[in-house]
Formats: sequence, structure tokens, C-alpha cells
Amino acid sequence: MDDLEILSEYSLYLKEKKEEGKKVIGFIAHDNIPEELIDAAGFIPLRMIFAGNDDLMNASHDYLPPSTCAFAQSSIGLFSLKPSQFNFLDLLDYFIVSNHCVSDICASEIISKYFNIPRLNFYISYTKNDNSLKYFKLELIDLKQQLEKIRGSEIPSKDLRESILKYNKFKKRLLEINNLYMKGSKKLKIIQKALLFGPDFIQDLEQIIQEYKEKSPINQINSKDLVLTGCSIFINDYLIDLIEEAGGNVVFLDTWIGNHYSSQIIDDKLIDAKKDPLNLIIKRFHDNIYGDHSVPNYLEFKISQIEKIYHDYKLKTGKKLGVINHIIKFCDHISIMSAHLKNQLQEKGIRVLNLERDYSRANRGQLSTRIEAFMEML
Amino acid sequence: MSYNFLTGRDYLTKRKQKEKKKLISVALGFPDLVFAANAIPVFPIRMEKFKINLYLMALNSATSLFGWDLTTKILGIARQLDFLKVVEKVLDDVVNSINDKYNEMYDLGVENGVPSDLCYGVNALYGMHKSRGSVLDANLNFAMRCGKWNKFSESLQSIVPNQIWVNIPPREAENEDKTLEIMVNNVKKAISELEGITGNYITDNSLKKQFRIGNQVKRFYKTILYEICSSDFYPCNPATFAEILALLTISFQDYNSNAQRYLENMSQLVTEMRERIKKGIGMDVSDMPRILIAPMFGGWEPETHEIIYELGGRALYADWEILGLIDEISVSENSDPVEDYARFLLDASKKGIGCDSDALTNSYLNFVKNLEIDGIIINQLFGCPSLSNSYEILKSKIKSELEVPAIVINFRKIGENVDVVKAQLRTYMEIFK
Repeated sequence: MDDLEILSEYSLYLKEKKEEGKKVIGFIAHDNIPEELIDAAGFIPLRMIFAGNDDLMNASHDYLPPSTCAFAQSSIGLFSLKPSQFNFLDLLDYFIVSNHCVSDICASEIISKYFNIPRLNFYISYTKNDNSLKYFKLELIDLKQQLEKIRGSEIPSKDLRESILKYNKFKKRLLEINNLYMKGSKKLKIIQKALLFGPDFIQDLEQIIQEYKEKSPINQINSKDLVLTGCSIFINDYLIDLIEEAGGNVVFLDTWIGNHYSSQIIDDKLIDAKKDPLNLIIKRFHDNIYGDHSVPNYLEFKISQIEKIYHDYKLKTGKKLGVINHIIKFCDHISIMSAHLKNQLQEKGIRVLNLERDYSRANRGQLSTRIEAFMEML
Repeated sequence: MSYNFLTGRDYLTKRKQKEKKKLISVALGFPDLVFAANAIPVFPIRMEKFKINLYLMALNSATSLFGWDLTTKILGIARQLDFLKVVEKVLDDVVNSINDKYNEMYDLGVENGVPSDLCYGVNALYGMHKSRGSVLDANLNFAMRCGKWNKFSESLQSIVPNQIWVNIPPREAENEDKTLEIMVNNVKKAISELEGITGNYITDNSLKKQFRIGNQVKRFYKTILYEICSSDFYPCNPATFAEILALLTISFQDYNSNAQRYLENMSQLVTEMRERIKKGIGMDVSDMPRILIAPMFGGWEPETHEIIYELGGRALYADWEILGLIDEISVSENSDPVEDYARFLLDASKKGIGCDSDALTNSYLNFVKNLEIDGIIINQLFGCPSLSNSYEILKSKIKSELEVPAIVINFRKIGENVDVVKAQLRTYMEIFK
């Protein structure tokens, strides 16, 4: 299934949901948005996980300077140009303005303001300690109230608990997918599709997992195995194809579309009918150490995470993993840490390629050359 | 003030080595907690060596010997000659010297692997820390709107291992008391970490004393912005005046590492400006449009105010006022100074350093209205995701609400784009003729 088919299928899915009377809530996807709350309110979360191209980026320049994150530019471009395969964006009822990064703030504000989509606010602290958790709770309560106002009634705790359980199951399946040995491009497509459809895709995930468990592992000898970290590869992006054309295979996605999302599983034992389910979402925020929003321990956690992936994989397969750190140009978070990440991992003997790019077509050749050179080094 | 800025290195060395004071790097105008801990806040460019103009050295020696009042009286005799030109030359040299150093620090950042898409300010700050950061005892960071700023601050850990963080909540949530409580706890946490590093207690009295000094500094700063800037007669030519405003923007970040001395400098500056205006020494600027250049704290082309002056305008810089950082911290005998400081930070967050671009653009608009600004030059800083991204909203508001002509100029590095800026401004300034 290619990206166009996924988008077309998703468009039908959303239309059906709208016909059922469900509201659609969009947001620039990141790991601290409490989707369970949106789901418990009876609404559909729409994660903006779509890559860009020259046209989409250029279309955003009426609103943002070109020296802005290419993903944020493209997200605005989608609303400005409305390519036909993205008609489902017309179905959005609300857009969440959040502060994962400053491009998230600005792009979300612009989408809401200039494309007339009412906004919901949800902000997160930058540091993580007891005070940040208290602030997170204030924001959760506020978002809950905003959602309750829209639906016209309270969100029962029981419904929120059920949503948490549902998303837990969803993430567990995604984690299993991320750990399967399959072609990276296929794995990526499955996870991208799952993130669009949400827990409604659980059955499909289970089927895929079953199929792969029955199959014998594909020949691993010739592939140069990689872990992808940094910025996610979004729907409609050709990057993973370039990696595979150069002889690489992404075996683990250490990005938001991948481990950052699926690792946020709440221990089932904690989901107790007597406890306030909002506290579970707060705990999830607290335990989320892989995301790039918080300071000051992001780099430290990231290094130890990649080191662990690297050593586990070496133990399991005897092969050394290379690391591609995907940097979308002008990304607030990933870009500035890239040199530090590379230096520190290389000191530990782990090869890293800092791959900076935007979505322009002209970059394709240069990206190929850089990836090929890196593969040679591996 | 200029002399104190440029000789920071000697001053800081003395205080660190002889008096065993702790040096803590700060930026953006948050030195108060460090002063209250009896430590030395430093905006790290001041640890560098600068070229110092001979007149400035002589002026400083004279001031040390005779005091400021007598020195100005002595100089009064010279005023009949070419004192204005001397002042212009001194300030010009000071600003050039600082800007050369900024570029040097920017280059050092680039050489040390800072990504090319970072803004000038953050890049230069990285270079400053790389250059002399090893002598710092800690780094005081305020986490806010700009992700690059936050991540840059985190990245300094490899140079300055001791990091103290003050998280400013992105907005004041519906429950204002709870948000304030959180902010208070964030400040308390930073205070306790500062105490650990400096070995000094931060008492209510030390905080109040510092806030009172800071408030007076801010009052003088506002006097310069609102009284002198709005005057039809300037104490010097508008390009020199803009250089004073630029120097204030830079030096305000750490009060030149000595709050009391900085306060005295500010007081002398305001007195001197008023005196000159009263005596008619300076320049009639009544027919020169007031042009706001903003933001400039993350890097700007210093030639801009010179170009505007040549084209018949007067440039103003007022970043800290627009962002709410020269608002006073309310202090009273019975108030809790930690809570007062927390309120100040939350108010600044609501004005622009928080997450609401509407609030940020409204702060620009309010300043433009209050100071009856005639034109706005928006400084489009390459790689700035934080403020630059709000310019379209700002431009449309300026157009619809104020009818003040606005223009965007691009900036990447000092000296790189001067000809283009000159051409743009030539056309822009025609509007005012």
C-alpha cells in the first residue's frame, strides 16, 4: 500500500466518523498530547504526520519565513494549497495549539487563525520535576474542560480509563511491530498508518504481528542495519527509500513515529477504578524520557537509549548498527543537539550520520550521496 | 558604562580570584537572583578582551580622579570645541568593538560545530561559552518559548556542568493561583540550587535589596525610552542615541556585573541627558520620524541606525520593554519577594516570552502606540523560530490597527547584508518625506 492509498483510505475513514457525528481534533503530533482524553470525549484525534515538498513549503511563506522548520512550513502549506489527497483536512473541527517546539506554537496558531479552525490550547512545561507535573495537571484539567464544553457533558472517569487501556494496547502492538525484523520501509508504513487510524487499527496490527511471527526471518546478511533517530519520517517522504536504495535497512525507529510514541505504555496494574485517571496521564508524561521537548536531560537520555539499542542488537544478531540522525532543517530541538549526539556516540564507537535536509526535490541527489557514503563506512 | 562593559574581563578576574566570588552566566535580563546570592552574573561576552578607545580610557581615569560631576564640568569647557564628536567617536568605537567580538564569537560557534541554521545570537552565545565558559561556576537558564534557546542552554552542560533552571510556565492557566504557586516553587528551587553553588544564603532582604536596585535601573531605562526618546530634542545625534540604546540592551543583561555601579551609571546617564537637553546641547529631531527596530537582541545589523539617521530618521531599540523585562518587580515591606519575582516572570511570559504570539504582537503594538512610533523595521533574524514566526501576524496587525508603515529586513551576520539593507531602507524612508 503506498502513501496515496493510505491517505485515500484515511479520508474515507474520517468521513465515516464524521457521519457518526464525531468531531475531529487536529494537532501537530507530539508525544505529550493526551489523545486518551480526546478519545474519551468521543472525538477523533488527527495527528499531522505528513511530509512536505517544494510547493507546500513555498505556500507557507505568506505566513512564515523560509528559515522555519520544513515540517511546520509543509503543515501550513497543506492548509494553504489543499492538495486533493488531503481534502480530509476540511473535516477538522478544532486544532490544538501546543508548544512541543516553537514551530509547533507558530504553525498551530497560524493554521487555527488563518484557516478558521477553532483552537484548543494545551501547553507543557519545559523542565520535568514535581512542579512541571503540577502544571501538566492544570493543563490537563483545562483541556478536559474545553473538550467537555464542546461535547456538552462531562467526560466520565470510566470512559477515560477505558481509553487509556485502549491506547495502552495500541502502543504495545506498535512496540511489537517496531521490534519485528522486517524491511524498514514496510515497518514505517505500518506505523504511519497506525498513527493515522489510532486504536481502530489494532486488529490489523495483531494480524501483521501474527503473520511475521509465522514467517522465517528475512535474509539479514546483506543489509546494513540502522537505527533512525532525530526527526520522524512522515507520510509521503522518500527518505526511507533512499536509505534502502543505498543498501541500508532501518531496523528500529527511535523517533516519535516509532519508539517515542509506542514506549509510553502505562502499567496496566496502575489503571485502578478508584484512582483519578488524569494521574495516569501525568505519570505517562513523567515517564516519557525519550521525547525531545524537555530540558535539561534530553541528550543524556537519548545517548543512553541509542547505546542500549546498539548493544542489544549486537548481542542478538552480532551486527553493529549505524545511526542516522534525521534533522529536518531548522528543527528547534534536533538540530542544535546533533553535533553533541554524534560526538558522544562516536566516542562510544557508534557510527552516526547527521542527515540534515528539508523537503525540496533538489536535495534528493545530495542526500543519496551522503547516505551511500555512510553505508560504505559501515 | 561603556568602560565597565569593555573592561569586564579584568573586573571579573579580580572578583573571582581575589574575592572568591562565583561567576554565573546569564542572558536576556535575568541577573537578579545571582546578585541576591552575592555572586557575579555575567553575560559571557564580557569575559573577552576588547579594544578600548583612548578617549574612553582617559574619560574613565578622569572620572575616577574627579568624580563624574567634576569631569563633566571640565569637559564642559571642551564642549565648545568638539565634545559631541568625541562622544560620537567613543560610542561608535565601543559599539564596533562589541560587534567585532560578537562576530568573532559567532565564528567560534560555527567552528565548533554549531548548526548553520541557528540564529546569530544563540550561535554567538555558544561561541562565548566555548571561549571562556570553563571559568564559569554555573549557568542560570530560564526555559521559555524558544525551543532553540532551551536546547542551546541544555547543550552548555558540556562546558558548564552546573546548570540552574527556572521553568517559566508557558501561560497563566485558568487557575491563576495555582500557576503562581508553581512559578514560586520553580524560583525557590533555583534559589536553593544557587545557594548550593555559591555557599551563600539568599534571604528575603537580599532579594528585596536587589529588586529595589533593579527597579531603579528600570525606571531610568524607561525614562530614557519614554521621556528622552519622545522628546523633540536629543542630547546627541540620533545615531549616537541609538548606539546608547543598543549598549543598554546588551549591558542590561548582567548590569555589567555590578548592580549598584550600573544604577549609578544609569542615573548619571539620565541626568546628563536631561541637562544637555535643558541647555540646548544636542540636536533638534522634531522633524525626524521615530523608527522602531525590533527585535535586535538576537542579532542585528548595527549599521541600520546610522543608515536611518543619514536618511533623516531616528532609530530606537526597545526589546526589553516590549518583552516586559524592564517592568518593575513589585516590592513592599510585607510582601514575599519570591512571590513578587514569580509574578514578574509570569507577567513577562504573558507579554511575549510565553507561548502566545498574539500577546507578543500586542506588546509590539502597545509600545508603538505609547511612543507614537512613526515606522517599524522588523528585523528578520535568520534561524529565529521564536519571534520571526510571528511577524506575519504582527504585520497584519500593524496594517489593520495602526496604519504605521512596516518593513522587514533580513539579518544573518553583522556586516553581511549592509548594501541590501541600505537599498531597502532608502525606499522605505521615502514614505516619510
